[in-house]
Amino acid sequence: MIRCEYHCPRALGEALGLKAAVPGARVIAGGTDLMVRLRSRELAPAALISLRRIPELAGVREEQGGARIGAATTFTDLLDDPVVARDYPVLARAAARVGSRQIRNAGTVGGNLANASPCADSALPLLALGARVRLERSGGSRELPLDDFFLGPGATALAEDEILTAVILPPPDIGARALFLKKGRVKMDLAVASVAVLLSMDGPVCRKVRVAAGSVGPVPLRLREVEALLEGAAPTPERTARAAEVAMRCVAPITDVRSTADYRRHIVGVYLRRALESLLGREAA
Amino acid sequence: MKREISFRVNGAEATAVAGGGDRLIDVLREGLGLTGTKEGCGEGECGACTVIVDGRAVNACLYPAAEIDGREVTTVEGLTGPDSTLGPIQRAFVECGAVQCGFCTPGMIMSTKALLDGNPDPSDEEVRDALLGNLCRCTGYVQIVEAVRRAAVAGRDR
Repeated sequence: MIRCEYHCPRALGEALGLKAAVPGARVIAGGTDLMVRLRSRELAPAALISLRRIPELAGVREEQGGARIGAATTFTDLLDDPVVARDYPVLARAAARVGSRQIRNAGTVGGNLANASPCADSALPLLALGARVRLERSGGSRELPLDDFFLGPGATALAEDEILTAVILPPPDIGARALFLKKGRVKMDLAVASVAVLLSMDGPVCRKVRVAAGSVGPVPLRLREVEALLEGAAPTPERTARAAEVAMRCVAPITDVRSTADYRRHIVGVYLRRALESLLGREAA
Repeated sequence: MKREISFRVNGAEATAVAGGGDRLIDVLREGLGLTGTKEGCGEGECGACTVIVDGRAVNACLYPAAEIDGREVTTVEGLTGPDSTLGPIQRAFVECGAVQCGFCTPGMIMSTKALLDGNPDPSDEEVRDALLGNLCRCTGYVQIVEAVRRAAVAGRDR
């Protein structure tokens, strides 16, 4: 086990000051991923900066018609939150599929994103919902679309002196519905593959479609080609089948201990079609 | 590098010295001699190390020790009655034959305690969901779910 300082700042300014002052320090929130990697000595940070006791980073609040989710909000808090339940139920559905009760009680949304795993359960619905992330440093902050935050497995747009402080959700799209489907070997597993779809209809045609897929590329992916194929068109069974084919072509899965590339590709096609048919009321997901 | 922390374990004041990377499970087992809490996988998969921190079940193998400063921890030792008599959940596990090798049992019992504290009358599905993060290698899940149901009834009758 590594030996380093463990800081428990009580205010965000203090945490940002520490992040700037201590090169090589790592931010820790729930620790569900980091503690394992510290113990295996895969990581040896100069110091750990905990986000657990910073009130402004915990919980969800309504902001400018949308919502602001503090980066240190646990999955359990997300599941219990009335704003999420009312305006972004797909996010609650994904939170419910994260690990076990114990993991959801500790693990946070910010940690799930900053960890930048291609299988991050919260990333998929957040991509479909058009979420942005707020990155803060001592004396400044910026916001990025979540699409631009992920750079590769474990790599994000966070600079050395920055901390991911919040996820910003736009006002809920009236009339839009969304679904998250995850394939795991057993329920608490990491995703073999996952799909999130947001769909809003304008009469017989799709007004807005957002599609994200997990565990099938170096980062959680937005499938823009699939979105473009469906938007402005009537989602006939032929077109949703075509969308599934395009989705299978767009993703870039690998074979690893959890599954094969072929099976992951197959699941993306099946789940995309299932999600669309279910959102269209044609068959159950 | 290390600093002194103070917290409550099973209702009693406790102190420990903890630094970055130190884990709650080591403070409990090595520091305080509370060896009821087991370490199985050490990666948050098996749940043998489940304890309750401020009302919520967590994996003690993933919980930074420095983080318990000022918090309230409950371990399986905290569920026994006076003179080390078994508490109602422990008794239900024994009566239902929900203990085989016993290694997963403290974690199972702590997950059950956290569940029943928040939901005194859970459905079988809620029980299974609450225990999803607790693996029993002897595969005694049917008896374990039965034990949780019995403990729930015992708790409501009290």
